[in-house]
Amino acid sequence: MSEPTSTLTVPDTRIQQAPGLEAEEITVSFGRHRVLDRVSIALRPGETLGLAGPSGCGKSTLARVLALLLRPSRGTVRMDGHPISRWRHRAPQRTRVALIFQQPRMAVDPRFTLEDVFTEPLRATRRPLDRAYELAEDLGLTRELFTRRPHEVSDGQLQRACVARALALEPAYLICDEMTTMLDASTQAHLVSRIEAYRERTGAAVLAISHDTELLDRWTDGNVHSWAAHRGI
Amino acid sequence: MKLRVDGLTVRFRIPGATVHAVTDASFELSEGRCLALVGESGCGKSVMAHALLGLLPANATVTGHAWLDPTATRTDSSGEALDLITAPEKTLARQVRGRRIGLIPQSPAAHLTPVRTARAHLAETLRELGRTETPDALAARAGLRPEDLDRYPHQLSGGMAQRVANALALAGDPPLIIADEPTTGLDRPLVDATMTELRRLRDEGRAVLLITHDLRAAEQVADEVAVMYAGRIVELAEAESFFTRPRHPYARGLLDALPTRAFKPVPGRPPELTRLPAGCAFQPRCPLATPLCDEQPKLNGVACHHV
Amino acid sequence: MAAVEATAGRRPGRRPVLAVATLAVLVLAALVVPLVAQLDQQLVDLRSAGLPPSLAHPFGTDEVGRDVLLRSIYGLRVSMLVGLVAAVVSVVIGGLVGLVAGTLGGLVDRLLMRVVDGFNSLPHLLFGVFIVAMFAPSPTAVVVAVAVTHWTTAARIVRSEVLSLRGRPFVDAAISGGSTRARVIRRHFLPNLAPHLLLATVLMIPHAIWHETALSFLGLGLPPHMASLGNMINDGQRSLLAGDWWSSLFPGLLILLPTLALSALAQHVRDRANPRWRSELVL
Repeated sequence: MSEPTSTLTVPDTRIQQAPGLEAEEITVSFGRHRVLDRVSIALRPGETLGLAGPSGCGKSTLARVLALLLRPSRGTVRMDGHPISRWRHRAPQRTRVALIFQQPRMAVDPRFTLEDVFTEPLRATRRPLDRAYELAEDLGLTRELFTRRPHEVSDGQLQRACVARALALEPAYLICDEMTTMLDASTQAHLVSRIEAYRERTGAAVLAISHDTELLDRWTDGNVHSWAAHRGI
Repeated sequence: MKLRVDGLTVRFRIPGATVHAVTDASFELSEGRCLALVGESGCGKSVMAHALLGLLPANATVTGHAWLDPTATRTDSSGEALDLITAPEKTLARQVRGRRIGLIPQSPAAHLTPVRTARAHLAETLRELGRTETPDALAARAGLRPEDLDRYPHQLSGGMAQRVANALALAGDPPLIIADEPTTGLDRPLVDATMTELRRLRDEGRAVLLITHDLRAAEQVADEVAVMYAGRIVELAEAESFFTRPRHPYARGLLDALPTRAFKPVPGRPPELTRLPAGCAFQPRCPLATPLCDEQPKLNGVACHHV
Repeated sequence: MAAVEATAGRRPGRRPVLAVATLAVLVLAALVVPLVAQLDQQLVDLRSAGLPPSLAHPFGTDEVGRDVLLRSIYGLRVSMLVGLVAAVVSVVIGGLVGLVAGTLGGLVDRLLMRVVDGFNSLPHLLFGVFIVAMFAPSPTAVVVAVAVTHWTTAARIVRSEVLSLRGRPFVDAAISGGSTRARVIRRHFLPNLAPHLLLATVLMIPHAIWHETALSFLGLGLPPHMASLGNMINDGQRSLLAGDWWSSLFPGLLILLPTLALSALAQHVRDRANPRWRSELVL
């Protein structure tokens, strides 16, 4: 059995405060390979928490667990105080947490237009679409881009559509997994400012995962935890 | 050796439109210097690299010149100045690529054949270029150990793959290295290591053309900076003065967007390369805009009417 | 990041004009001629038996005097129709199995794949013969025989594609965005599967036609009075030794032509299905 890849703990005192999105002693194994070993983290409403660490140490796996997309082999996830017992498409609370991925090209159906991308969550939950269009515009997408397909737009434009998609259902928890690694500084600054504006307006919580410590420091005003990494292949 | 780019213009024909990818680009690069070509995604920087290497597809039209001048300070395989733009494919394949210009591509692991070891790659390249150096020796120059060479691309860590790519670019001992977005997707420590590598190459006496949108990386290695916007070079300055006193409003905006500075985005969006205005393309987003900007400013260190 | 990349050096093939034209002619002939021709393809005229190709009979006549050209066209119609139906049935059955296996995964997947392996291990023609022997020779029997031995191809293709799609982050994003599993299948899997299914069908048609002709050639496929290309080749082999090459060659050509045309078309469909080919600029 390979040695544990990563451990992370957060001071216990916070668990006593207002409930948010908490992960306790999460262990994830793929076959014999243990990707996460007893990891705990808590995200409080209204806060921006940075999680810094090198690529490949399991941060993305943790992000998927927090987004209820991956069932851990062991450990508990609690949202607003209630433990999660059903996962992926069976989890009714899944729309309260949104995940933004590092590579927008992989996170978008190649056959969708940009418009399809950012309106899909509202269509899936049968809600009016106006909100999606407002978001798209706020994030810097022009009308003429709406009908384009992913291979016809740049990574920056695609990631804007992904952020619009993530915010469409007004999630209470937003996880940004290396969201800006592929982007230039101006796009990066823009997306971060929009996300922070969203957080301030709705009181949502944001977990920013990145290997870029300067970015995280600036984004979260110093509220950064580092991922004490053990070796992993 | 000197690279002189003069009025380089690249257009692509697509159904119903023309993409003005690069317009009237001019700059010089001498050996022992590093020029960083910076700009937002989609501004045409990578097209420039492809144009210099003759790797543009069939629907591209290129005008202008890119002279590769040999000088006496470094031994060069051929004695005459060569215009990369008009050179025939045979010349580019036999004399230029790998021999006079080495390319370090983006995502190095993706450029390696998955079923061959790193050693096989190096050996094949060395053989093709007619070099007598052994793969191990070449690898050592790039900071790789002999045991690393026996790995397959998927077994290489990000840093090792980068070093293999560097080794491949150096195999023919080219006087000019073009690094096309070498840091995309890499961790900061790896970015720093790559920049250290490029500094070393420059200090060895090569010319390095670094194409990147990562300004923090460019700052570590550039002697000179060229900023591209909407296909044109809008500022061309010594690195020191660029990073402390950028002149063009767009350049200032780009630097302000860094998390280590003001972390403010440049307002608005870049124009579509299929519909560029006759005047300054940055006008809609520029705090200094006046009707003067309806006329295309000339590049004189900086392409702006108000600076 | 983003490089401006234009792919025009390799346009998505000139439109497959020749292939489509050939197919159009064949399909048109097969549909129109039987309706319009006053001649009866069954007309036996022993005085005209065994005539080589001439102006009156461009493909010659067979051993009982029937015009080979006319019969070939009827035969083509039958063969193409049976081939099409068999191909569609195969792909639908196979596609459903593949979708279920890929989506549900786990035990269901393993079970279904063992079933696929089982069917794959059956020798096609032999099993086809077995099935046809159970029913009276008829188009239905042939369709069943082909479908039963060929659905596994589509099942494998679809399953592998579904597995690949499931792992993609955009499926995760859809689920996060409130999609149910049914919606993910409808909005993401099916549209991405459609080109594969279309391709599988187009490629399956010539294969199905061959099987039908093979079975008919063996006398086990379609009833002998139904002109099918296989039957005709079967009949033709008797006169082949006498030197009457036309009653075997022309039906054979008419099997070959749609096959080649369909293969060319399949290639084009595959190229077009890639969304990148639709526009040539990647920014």
